[in-house]
Amino acid sequence: MDLSVNGQTRTVADAAVDPSMPLLWVLRDVLNLTGTKFGCGVAACGACTVHLDGQAVRSCVTPLASAVGKPVRTIEALGTAEQPHALQKAWIAHQVPQCGYCQSGMLMAAAGLLAKNRDPSDADIDAAITNICRCGTYPRIREAIKTAAKALRGGDTGASPRAVAAA
Amino acid sequence: MKRRSMLLLGAGAAGALVVGWGVLPPRSRQGRADTLPVVDGEVGLNGWIKITADGNVLLAMHRSEMGQGVHTALAMLVAEELDVSLAKVRLVQAGRDTLYGNVAGFVAALPLHPGDMEPGHETRGVKAGRWIVSKFARELGINMTGGSSSVADAWDVLRLAGATARTQLLGAASLQWKLPLAELVVADGVISHPSGPVGHYGEFAKAAAVTPASTIAVKEAKDWKLIGKPVPRIDLVAKTNGSAGFGIDVRLPGMVYAVVRHCPMLGGSFGRIDSDAAMKLPGVERVVRLGPYAGSTDGVAVVGRSSWHAKQGAQALDIEWRAPPAGVLDSRQIAAALEATARQAAATQGGFAFHAAGDVQAASAAAARRIEAVYHAPYLAHAAMEPINCTAQVKDGKVEVWAPTQLPGMALALAARTAGVGEDAVTLHVTYLGGGFGRRLDIDFVGQAVRIALETNGRPVQLLWPREEDITHDFYRPAGAAVMQASIDAQGAITSLAITSAGDAVTPRWMERGLPALSGPIDLPDKTASEGLFDLPYGIANQRIAHAATHSGVPVGFWRSVGHSHNAFFSECFIDELAFETQKDPVAFRLSLLADMPRHAAVLKLAADKSGWGKPLPAGRARGVALHESFGSIVAEVVEVSLDERQRGRPVVHRVVCAADVGTVVNPAIVAQQMESAVIFGLSAALYGRIDIVGGVVQQTNFPNHPVLKLADAPRVIETHLIASSNPPGGVGEPGTPPIAPAVANALFVLTGKRVRGLPLVV
Repeated sequence: MDLSVNGQTRTVADAAVDPSMPLLWVLRDVLNLTGTKFGCGVAACGACTVHLDGQAVRSCVTPLASAVGKPVRTIEALGTAEQPHALQKAWIAHQVPQCGYCQSGMLMAAAGLLAKNRDPSDADIDAAITNICRCGTYPRIREAIKTAAKALRGGDTGASPRAVAAA
Repeated sequence: MKRRSMLLLGAGAAGALVVGWGVLPPRSRQGRADTLPVVDGEVGLNGWIKITADGNVLLAMHRSEMGQGVHTALAMLVAEELDVSLAKVRLVQAGRDTLYGNVAGFVAALPLHPGDMEPGHETRGVKAGRWIVSKFARELGINMTGGSSSVADAWDVLRLAGATARTQLLGAASLQWKLPLAELVVADGVISHPSGPVGHYGEFAKAAAVTPASTIAVKEAKDWKLIGKPVPRIDLVAKTNGSAGFGIDVRLPGMVYAVVRHCPMLGGSFGRIDSDAAMKLPGVERVVRLGPYAGSTDGVAVVGRSSWHAKQGAQALDIEWRAPPAGVLDSRQIAAALEATARQAAATQGGFAFHAAGDVQAASAAAARRIEAVYHAPYLAHAAMEPINCTAQVKDGKVEVWAPTQLPGMALALAARTAGVGEDAVTLHVTYLGGGFGRRLDIDFVGQAVRIALETNGRPVQLLWPREEDITHDFYRPAGAAVMQASIDAQGAITSLAITSAGDAVTPRWMERGLPALSGPIDLPDKTASEGLFDLPYGIANQRIAHAATHSGVPVGFWRSVGHSHNAFFSECFIDELAFETQKDPVAFRLSLLADMPRHAAVLKLAADKSGWGKPLPAGRARGVALHESFGSIVAEVVEVSLDERQRGRPVVHRVVCAADVGTVVNPAIVAQQMESAVIFGLSAALYGRIDIVGGVVQQTNFPNHPVLKLADAPRVIETHLIASSNPPGGVGEPGTPPIAPAVANALFVLTGKRVRGLPLVV
């Protein structure tokens, strides 16, 4: 099976996987892309959030079969060291992470929101960010999303989602 | 008071075993130039610091980063004294030497009363007790990240290590250049003299290692460049690009994966296992039976090609589960028994009195009014975001373990016992922890992982607990009940306070699991059971604060802020009740009882000022306040709460104003982060947290039936205001948690006129 992950074609041996195997475990245990996290296995916590065909999805309940033929983007390709995503810059400016475990999923959920909504309101953020953080970084996440949205609108983009997907 | 003396005597007997050394910490915890292993031209200067050939500083990191910012804070202490930027400090894992043991965390286990331990005015008994326990803890050398103790423990030790290294490096430059040391200056690790010579630390490290340090002095506060500044955390780039390595992210050549299923009944076991269906599944290779490891319930692990394959296999097992011989647990029965125990002890002056002053019975007999209330708290799970996991490899008589743990030394010892090798044959790597909150002070999963690794033919194996196993086989915050009694005289003054609580003691159960050799046949009184009750700052002349320790059989463990987490709810709600009963403003009432505790009063006043206490609020909103000292820090919180009528009157917390005296602040940005964290963690518990056990089985299993606070429900505003202090640093990770539940409950009383005396807060 061929998967398109972060702009690269990754071949997964049919013997190694099952079409019903969740994308999360293919990413983590087969492709060793461990930035995407396991938190609950039932789409409740969002730690496993990745982009599938540009949409934020919970990869712990996304069967591999449904990801074949669609671009998958993970935290590893949200930005680059040279050109971090505006959200990654805002995350650091607001000193968001603590333990950091949920933050890959938070960032991918936030990136999914900003790709559709350039100027999210508090209600938009409430509706889009349903991920769980036990360290309580929520107030800073809210502010960081607003900062990143502003930067993206103002042209201080870091790396735009489109540019990264192309890279 | 007599009982406290007895405790100190007990500690003294233990202390007598270690009278061998002549020096006290921090000087006894510096190590030697050869304590740290070196490679590639590195030079060790002491047990904490190595200098690289290019002049960078390597710091032996002994504490676990679980979100609390400890890697940044400890690196700051060394960078400050060495006069290098934080970017020049790299972390390497500390080894097994006892100098990395936690002394402050164990000293904090002494049941001392705040009136006896005001900084700078400690009583002789307090000083003696601390000295004895320091000696004992230094000898034990248990490396523990917990009890909000890391910075307090490292404060003198790491600054001294940095200052000593700096003096040695400057001494070496002074000798080589034949210039007076006092004329040398350092900027970001580069030594220079106004006459021209320049060289970085790497150039002098070898000579420094054999240059005795002359006069060593840590910097005065006025000279600090880093300490006290909101320095950005050093771990956040990795935590925003997916590269931060948590336990679950360890990937090794040839690695296989294991998933565990425990007996659903806590403490139970299993009989027959039918593994035929599981073994027929693709990618499933082995079934391993797991006995108890450091308190775990028996279970069965399935090894497979991926965590998913292993989980499919685990689900396909047909297992005959067996109830524990002592019978199955039931949390409702336990709650009723706890209340009965507390009532009985209250009626008979029973339980262990952690604090007694004056004559409560006489005051009660003479009282104009007596107030009594009974409070409850449920069991709680930790539910850290990173599910329990551990990676292990057993090969050629050597064991290697990668563990997200708060307790690396004891984890290593358990790995050695499990594999039947000496501790020298075990290497343990501490990864980032995806949250700890006390759960990773238990090491059950390390024993399990090593046991499984004995069966995988030398290949590394990563053990993962599905979330359902994590919630149903935790070491829970104990349930508790407390009978609160106060006497009021004819003038409305509080003349006595009696608190009699009941619940399981955490420390002796934890000692049995992890340190059986030190665990005695009878439990010593556990301060954590009564903390937050016996140590109240309020000036009430007659007090008896006692705890009746129970043995419920439920596995109990340390949960962020431990006893304070529920005891502050009991005490600060009851204090609010007393304010109401005497028709006083809750802030003014508390201040009237804090005449002898100016630091507490200052914190409360700051929270009141910043929150606009007493000023009008929009209709439907109310404020509540709570003040609590824990882990050496004082925190007051004022909350603004309303009821969301669309959601059956669910409480909504809009704003939280935290004021805190945490002693000297190493990094105010991290303190603010931790106050926010502690508030939100505590709010999840206050609004939703409960673990119910029926027929021995924990009923909550995963986030859908074990809800926690989400972004939409979190307070929009959490402000942190810090009191300037030159006292030694107190704790930061936990002290923000205890006040939040009572502050919200007290606001709910204003809104509804109804007292909620149990958690979670159901209006």
